[in-house]
Amino acid sequence: MKSSQTRELNRQAQREGVLAPVGRILQIWQRRAPLLTAGALLSLLALIIGLVLMREAGIRVAAMTMGMIVVTTGALRIFGSARVILRYAERLVAHDAMFRALADVRVWFFRHLARGAAAGLGFRRAGDLLSRLVSDVETLDGLYLRIILPLAGACLVLPFLFIAINMVSSMLAVVVCALFACGAFVLPLCAAMLGRREGGLVNHEAAQLRVGVLDMVGGLREIATFGAEGRMLDHVRDRDAALYRAQMKQARMLALAGAASYLCGQAAVVAVLAAALGLGLPRIPPLQAAAVLFLTVAAFESIGGLTRAGALAGNITRAAARVVAVGDLPGHAPPEGTQPAPAGTDIRFEQVSFRWDEARAPVLDHLDLSIPAGQRIAVMGPSGAGKSTLAALLLKVVGPQAGRITLGGEDIATIRDEAMRERIAWLSQATHLFTDTIRANLLLGRPDATEADLWAALEQARVADVVRELPDGLDSWLGEGGASVSGGQGRRLALARVLLSHAPILILDEPATGLDAQTEREFLLTLNEVTQGRTVILIVHRLTGVEKLDQAWRIVGGKTVAATA
Amino acid sequence: MSDDKTVMKAWTRAQSRLGRRQAMPVVLLGLAISAVAVGQVWCIATVLACVLVPGGMPVVAWPLAGLVGLAVARAGLQAASDTLAARAGMKGRARLRGGVIEAIMRGGPGLLRQHHTGELTALAVDRIEALDGFFARWLPASVLWVAAPLVIGVLAAFVQPGSALIMAVCGLAVPFGQALFGIGAAVASRNQFLAMTRLQARFLDRVRGIATIVLSGRTEDETRRLAASAEELRLRTMKVLRVAFLSSASIDCAMVVALVLIALRNGAHLMDLHEQGVPAAIMAGQVARGLFVVLVVPEFFAPFRSLALAYQDRAHASGAASAMRILPDDATPARVGGQAVCDMTGGVAVAFEHVSFAWDAARGMAVDDVSFSVPAGQTLLLCGASGSGKSTIIELLLGFIQPASGRITFNGVDMTTLAPEALVAMTSWIGQKPVLFAGTLRENILFARPDATQAQLDAAVAAAAAGDFVASLPHGLDTFIGEGGFGLSGGQAQRVAIARAFLKDAPLVVLDEPSAHLDPDTEADVFESLRRLAARRTVILATHSSAVAGFEGQRIDLAQGHVVTSGETVS
Repeated sequence: MKSSQTRELNRQAQREGVLAPVGRILQIWQRRAPLLTAGALLSLLALIIGLVLMREAGIRVAAMTMGMIVVTTGALRIFGSARVILRYAERLVAHDAMFRALADVRVWFFRHLARGAAAGLGFRRAGDLLSRLVSDVETLDGLYLRIILPLAGACLVLPFLFIAINMVSSMLAVVVCALFACGAFVLPLCAAMLGRREGGLVNHEAAQLRVGVLDMVGGLREIATFGAEGRMLDHVRDRDAALYRAQMKQARMLALAGAASYLCGQAAVVAVLAAALGLGLPRIPPLQAAAVLFLTVAAFESIGGLTRAGALAGNITRAAARVVAVGDLPGHAPPEGTQPAPAGTDIRFEQVSFRWDEARAPVLDHLDLSIPAGQRIAVMGPSGAGKSTLAALLLKVVGPQAGRITLGGEDIATIRDEAMRERIAWLSQATHLFTDTIRANLLLGRPDATEADLWAALEQARVADVVRELPDGLDSWLGEGGASVSGGQGRRLALARVLLSHAPILILDEPATGLDAQTEREFLLTLNEVTQGRTVILIVHRLTGVEKLDQAWRIVGGKTVAATA
Repeated sequence: MSDDKTVMKAWTRAQSRLGRRQAMPVVLLGLAISAVAVGQVWCIATVLACVLVPGGMPVVAWPLAGLVGLAVARAGLQAASDTLAARAGMKGRARLRGGVIEAIMRGGPGLLRQHHTGELTALAVDRIEALDGFFARWLPASVLWVAAPLVIGVLAAFVQPGSALIMAVCGLAVPFGQALFGIGAAVASRNQFLAMTRLQARFLDRVRGIATIVLSGRTEDETRRLAASAEELRLRTMKVLRVAFLSSASIDCAMVVALVLIALRNGAHLMDLHEQGVPAAIMAGQVARGLFVVLVVPEFFAPFRSLALAYQDRAHASGAASAMRILPDDATPARVGGQAVCDMTGGVAVAFEHVSFAWDAARGMAVDDVSFSVPAGQTLLLCGASGSGKSTIIELLLGFIQPASGRITFNGVDMTTLAPEALVAMTSWIGQKPVLFAGTLRENILFARPDATQAQLDAAVAAAAAGDFVASLPHGLDTFIGEGGFGLSGGQAQRVAIARAFLKDAPLVVLDEPSAHLDPDTEADVFESLRRLAARRTVILATHSSAVAGFEGQRIDLAQGHVVTSGETVS
């Protein structure tokens, strides 16, 4: 347990200060590259046109005050409406592209989580995962909208600004562009470096608070029985206060960063005006002075948010790292196969060895086991003997460290994971009932099952009467973990789901849990009928005598020993 | 529906009232910033006029120096205002979260029957985090959008009343645009929140059962469904944003119209002055005034833009308001309880007198006219298949729910008249799956009695026969255990629960199928420890297991909420 915790921490530490996760996120976004690029181009276009128009506007206003031209409504109207329309279009396209990309990240996240999930979620808490999807994925929108777009804009504006001002005064061009570079690149970089720690702290405290609240809500029964209301409230309040402290620290930093960035822009304005007056800088002609002033104001406006974004960049890279971390496969996961599953369903374990942790004794030690198609076998043994490990190996949740397992003569390492799992229906000790209707939960076993199939499966699992009595029957909603049915009834619903499946191999881990002795016997007799022709692997603690078994095995010391049924 | 709206409006109004006090300094700073901005514009206009009208004014450095001073002042004010806004957001959230957490505590275990833990957690954490903007941005902006333009408009009126009037008229046009688009934003955003909550709840549930999904070979299917939810979320978000962008575009339009009209007015005026050939000094003054009113227009409209940006923050508040309604209101007392105390020195006798309870009227009685009595120090076995009403009787005993009719007594005292603390002190409870909190094993056991000494803790661990497994952990009692007790097997988790019960040392022990998730060997071991715990205590044990050997006492068989048989078991 300790080793996996340290490994997770080490992995996180390794990522800190590395741009790799951001690169990985960009890779996920590759599919949306055309749209994202279009958004970027549109925003750059809007920016440049805005700058040109502002420069133009400066000249016009100046000329007007000098009585040189009569300003026509037409020119100003075009100036105004072009900006308004472009800005609207640019924001719409860029945001749409961004949200499409974010939806991709959500799906990527779920898919990768699924790949590593079967081996257990380990120290990743469900609450933490929720925060990962919802907050972290949303934080990632800042990467494109608040960092990539304005930075690309700044890279374009800098030379434009230099060329435009250089036509008037080289000295002024250098001063203004230096201030611009400071506001666009230096300050954000400083803020990013300073903000790294604060951002991490805020994320950490928010996660701590979420875990605290989740514990409190989940443990309401324990809290009530131990009279721990006051203690638990204090605990959650402490975490809440810690979050606020971290956030206030970050807010103060952001406020300072914003002020610094504002002063950069104002310094440039002062420089332009000083040049116009000829104070300290070479004097520039009045018309051009107005043009440069308007241009400078517009240019600095476009980078106004970059310093704040820089301060939040730590948040974004960290969010990216946490999202990407889900993609790491756990050590035990076998490589993904490519072949379809063979037609035959004979199962053979050949000299299979497996251990969950190198520090621990092997669970299976050169185990041999042969289960011909259609056989009905039982595997017994005390808990921890490796009964469930057999199922995990067959389902390709984990791979053997030595030996091989074959299905229909093919090594299962070469078979696609999904294909393997389609051949096997599994009832585990921890089978989950989803917050959904009973019908939807059952259809997970076989999506095309008819109403009659569903009821038949419910009958076989000895739970049809319970469902019939529910006000909405099959369409009754199951609460969290199936809370509106009792634990035993929930397990029988899960069993019905497994019985519904067409898979030729059934692995049933303690299927009779929650049944009284009489019902258990009836159920096992039914099971004998409904699973004719299918391979059945029963994982049980003891036998009742009514199971019609072809073989019974006991796992002792990591090897199989024939057991008398 | 209209009732919902009234409740939500009332909630939002109450929050605004409470948050406004913290928002006041932000508003004052905002007004100061507007005043400074007017000064900045005046300095710039003066410098430009000086440059554009040669010989109109002597070249002086004061406007430039003033500009520098004002810029520094504005930067300082802005930083202070940002910090204070963050503090207002923090105060508002702290107050709300405190209330929500207390309400969840008050609701107690009964809440879990109706709501997902994910739903409640999201409400207490994410919903309230999302309200930061409501207190930090929306509340100040909702005052500033009227006050700040007013300040700027009045100052501009001293310079050119006509131009100030144009600004005012264009400014007044903005609320109409806001009303037109703003309502749409609020409506669209409520739907967006529904989609958002649905996506969140769905995701947490799917994550919890991800092994089931993967091993049923349904990953692709579920991924597709998740993709559909994410797509729905995008469409809804874009709907809100489109309206928001349109609304800020309408502000831009109003600003452009004001700019054009003021520029035209001044252009024509200055043209006239040129033709009349007025002296440069007067000309320069007029140019400075003209430039001032043109350049001040963006400052005049800036508060409107802040309001448009903050409009989404307001929508968050209505979303949160409707979500809050699942919580029990302030009027619900923590637990029905009186002041009575009950003498426990001779142990606790428990009696049910014609107790009935229904979770849901449509599904009939979960417990129907159940009566029994357990003398102090004796054991009662509640037997029956799952769904026969055992768990409901346990929850009634623990006071999580109250009987619809009949009464429950402890040592002859009606439970409803007992002080809640007295009830808590009397009972220990061990359920099917104990909740292990994030923290060390030591903290988890001490949860039962935080002031226990090391010796008491060691004794409880030994009594629960948890010593062996604790010693096998990498850090012993200081090993970190996570949500749902990762790393601990079902039997080990149950031993932690037993150790808690030993540490608490209550005279009544309530056991709700404590071995439901254990294999027979572990079950036998756990029962061994439970028997030790049961010695000299009143025990009520709900079970369908046959491994209750060693527990002797009354036995009641339940079916569909009724007592079927009752008698004695002796093993």
